[in-house]
Amino acid sequence: MTEPVITARAFFERARAGQLTAVRCGSCGELAIPPRELCPACHARAWQPVPLVGEGTITSFTVIRVAPRAHAADAPYAIAVVKLQEGVSILGRIVDIPLDKVAVGLPVRFRPLGAQDQTSIGFGPLG
Amino acid sequence: MRRVAVIGVGVTKFGLHDRTSAELFADAAGDALTDAGIAASAVQALYYGNVVGGETEHQLHTGPQAASVLGIPSVPTTRFETACASSHAAFRHAVMEIGAGVSDVILVGGAERVLNVSTAESTEYFAYASDAVWEQPLGLTFPGVFALIARAHMEKYGTTEAQMAAVAVKNHRHGALNPKAQFQKQITIDQVLRSAYVADPLKLLDCCPFSDGGAAVVLASEEVARRHRKPVWVLASAAASDWMLLGDKRDLARVPATERAAAAAYRQAGLGPTDVDVVELHDCFTIAEIVATEGLGLFEPGAGGRAAETGLTSLGGEVPVNPSGGLKAKGHPIGATGAAQIAEIVTQLRGEAGPRQVDGARTGLTHTLGGNTATVLVSLFGRD
Ligand SMILES: [Zn+2]
Repeated sequence: MTEPVITARAFFERARAGQLTAVRCGSCGELAIPPRELCPACHARAWQPVPLVGEGTITSFTVIRVAPRAHAADAPYAIAVVKLQEGVSILGRIVDIPLDKVAVGLPVRFRPLGAQDQTSIGFGPLG
Repeated sequence: MRRVAVIGVGVTKFGLHDRTSAELFADAAGDALTDAGIAASAVQALYYGNVVGGETEHQLHTGPQAASVLGIPSVPTTRFETACASSHAAFRHAVMEIGAGVSDVILVGGAERVLNVSTAESTEYFAYASDAVWEQPLGLTFPGVFALIARAHMEKYGTTEAQMAAVAVKNHRHGALNPKAQFQKQITIDQVLRSAYVADPLKLLDCCPFSDGGAAVVLASEEVARRHRKPVWVLASAAASDWMLLGDKRDLARVPATERAAAAAYRQAGLGPTDVDVVELHDCFTIAEIVATEGLGLFEPGAGGRAAETGLTSLGGEVPVNPSGGLKAKGHPIGATGAAQIAEIVTQLRGEAGPRQVDGARTGLTHTLGGNTATVLVSLFGRD
């Protein structure tokens, strides 16, 4: 038996409170986000949750103009891959940055999006 | 492993149809059996690709349903779902079953029907191939996935929107020579560049269409194949997977699953990229073709855009890519696509492709990618 790995539900509970969380392998030190069962580097099952600063830079982005039905009212909106300062990357919705200012290399800060039981990952301006 | 051959192929026209996916498959399968000159009673299994039948047709259990509509209800039937690579995954498993000596004749195919629902609905259903917890809630779409890849490729290698447009223009030029293609008309670079953005930097004419259609191929052991005309030999069939989440992909400008599947296929066949005469690859978006030509080793990483722009991948070029018109012009009924690509390569290697024939083609390659680049299949084919 090992300590339970942080679940997606627990991840989003922390996210809703403003805390972005990764997991670090107790065996080899690999960092991963979101959590998964086995360490992809050494296949150990010895994760510890690690709070992240929540700051990073955009490594790629797109502006979605034809959206799925559930998001049609939001379009156009930007989605970006953000490389966090700890070195791991995650996809998020860009908010409060004009679409023509979204760019590769732009620094951004994590912010939780949504309400009640549906939290998702967002990034807004750093300043 | 025993040698395996493709002895028959069938493809419906792609585009809008007033038939169910099972009917479309059965139409293609009937043609494939006729083409093979083999009785339906010889078929020992059906391996079938279908992706969004549950959503667009309220139909699960699509394998036996397709077999019933075709009229061969008693053969063991399995549906494969690896997003857009489904019928290529089905093909690989059939190759292994015949190669292992379990069966001698297997029918492989797939079909999809999506034009009976709205674009907003199909956009949503295709997005189901991305992660439902981490990515779908952000409003990520299929074009969005490849737009992120395109942006990364542009940043890393200087690939341009005009180079991507060149892929669309080339594939429409090829598609105009294919009577089964959804779009049989040529377009210009200017039309592509002036079409509306769907997911920046991808525009409408960078994207393949939504399509209905079916495709099927008949596979046989060498012993059976020798009794049929022009067997086309399966020289290799390989699969690879990769992380689902875009954040987990270390370099968005490359597709590691393509590189791994290609390496495995070349190793199986004892061939390399320079041995390939004709390629059908997964151009769901123009950037996908550029990245695939690099991942398959046809061009160096970063050189795919220039290769398309300078005509190296056109009919008559150094290595013709997507003579059928590709997904872009031929159409992309996702469950049928892998089998349809194989049907095109078989037709090319038989020398029966008419005005789109690649002269003297002896070795062909098919590449099919699933969804967010987490599944890739690569197969190699040769003739006697
Ligand atoms: Zn580890």
